[in-house]
Amino acid sequence: MSVGQPPLQLPPKPAVKALNCPKCGASITLRALGQAVAVVCTSCHSILDAKDPHLQIIQTFERITSTDAPLIPLGTRGKIRGTDYDVIGFQRRSIKVEGIRYAWHEYVLFNPYKGFRYLTEYQGHWNDVAICKEQPIVDTRFRISLEANYLGEEYKHFQTADATTDFVLGEFPWEVRVGEQATLTDYVHPPRVLSREKTSAEITWSIGEYLPGKDIWSTFHLAGDPPEAIGIYENQPCPVSANIKTLWMTFVGFAVVLCVLMIAFEVHAKREPVFHTSYQMNPGMPAGEASFVTEPFELTGRTSSVEISTSAAVQNNWIYLNYALINQDTGEAWDFGREVSFYSGYDSDGSWSEGAQSDSVVVPSVPAGHYYLRIEPEVDRNHPRIVYTVEVKRDVPVLGFYAIGFLALLIPPIVLTWRSLSFERARWAESDHPPSPILKTESD
Amino acid sequence: MFRRLYLLYGVLVLGSVTFAEYRGWSLDSMNQLKNVPKSVRDNPGSYRSVYSSYHHYTGGK
Repeated sequence: MSVGQPPLQLPPKPAVKALNCPKCGASITLRALGQAVAVVCTSCHSILDAKDPHLQIIQTFERITSTDAPLIPLGTRGKIRGTDYDVIGFQRRSIKVEGIRYAWHEYVLFNPYKGFRYLTEYQGHWNDVAICKEQPIVDTRFRISLEANYLGEEYKHFQTADATTDFVLGEFPWEVRVGEQATLTDYVHPPRVLSREKTSAEITWSIGEYLPGKDIWSTFHLAGDPPEAIGIYENQPCPVSANIKTLWMTFVGFAVVLCVLMIAFEVHAKREPVFHTSYQMNPGMPAGEASFVTEPFELTGRTSSVEISTSAAVQNNWIYLNYALINQDTGEAWDFGREVSFYSGYDSDGSWSEGAQSDSVVVPSVPAGHYYLRIEPEVDRNHPRIVYTVEVKRDVPVLGFYAIGFLALLIPPIVLTWRSLSFERARWAESDHPPSPILKTESD
Repeated sequence: MFRRLYLLYGVLVLGSVTFAEYRGWSLDSMNQLKNVPKSVRDNPGSYRSVYSSYHHYTGGK
């Protein structure tokens, strides 16, 4: 014989009892027997005392003022956070803001071992709600604290409103009444919402977590599709917010790699001079001088960029050069025109200048070979003596690619950040603290 | 998922920049021609540049 531990105290078995409504005689099933405080007759909607063996009537109606069909039928079972719960109660509540009534639905869930929890639904947005295990910390200096702390997490005040219970069905762990009033204060930290519910008798805190409708449908094995979520709900998580910080960190990483690439190409670029000659146009020479060709020069190595620079000592004048870089072996040519112009002066605004006395152009992907330039200069009719220099270098880096790459890398984080900000603006527009409009019109 | 997509996108961007730089691509626009006759070397006037009708700016402030 062994001296063991005392036998385990097993939780009570779930008790279900069928009774009849004392008002209309309809059958009533009590699923949370012993724990439900009120039960509503599904036939005449009388609210009955579930603790009383004779189901004493708490509230009756001459006629049903409004009805509402729960999206999850009473008695449906579903697994939430690993525990089976039965849907035993349903109520519709509403608040009135600026003359408009906003209604939502609450479902009472029951498990005989875990107790009660709730589901709320507003325009297709669902929340899994449980009573807080600890008292949240709020700043009691103010009538409504703008922040609340629960289990070390900060919640921001979203809205305070007076709610009315409009319609009830099933069992409830409190003495529910149609017309019951409570002041609701919501604090949000998406995807969670911390709610304070104050009645004349008590203050209750609950914590909710946003759930997509499809999860609810899957949990309770409901047919069809859940109602589509309309708008943005107070604690709805922004689909992109969680990625923004990571995205910006990744962007920084990419920017560093881009800088390393730029430095590497800058350091290893040969910038090999292959041709350098000066020419001049004397006064009196025809404005459109006959074209000429340069001495041949050789490009060696791999296919690379070729930079052709032109510098000309023009002062309030211009020179235009029609260039053709011609491969004398293959007949392949790159044809382009470049202008060097520089103007300066002095007027009532002070001194000014525009243009430059030099110009460069990069010819793309030029293979090795023997090349020459065909040059056709053009100048103003009354041109002074213009000396211009033509210089050719191969393997010159193009910094513009890094700028384009940087901007291309920047686009996704900026777009997602903008989307996140827009989402948050839309969320808070429905709160007691709407953001100020970005643009104000005169009519505002 | 966003991060994975962005990683792929970023690698593509960096790869494109590297390839463009290595192959010597340019951001300048120009006309590329094939089979320019060898006689151009001896008679440059026989070549007609596509840019010869360019309208020159003769301004200043």
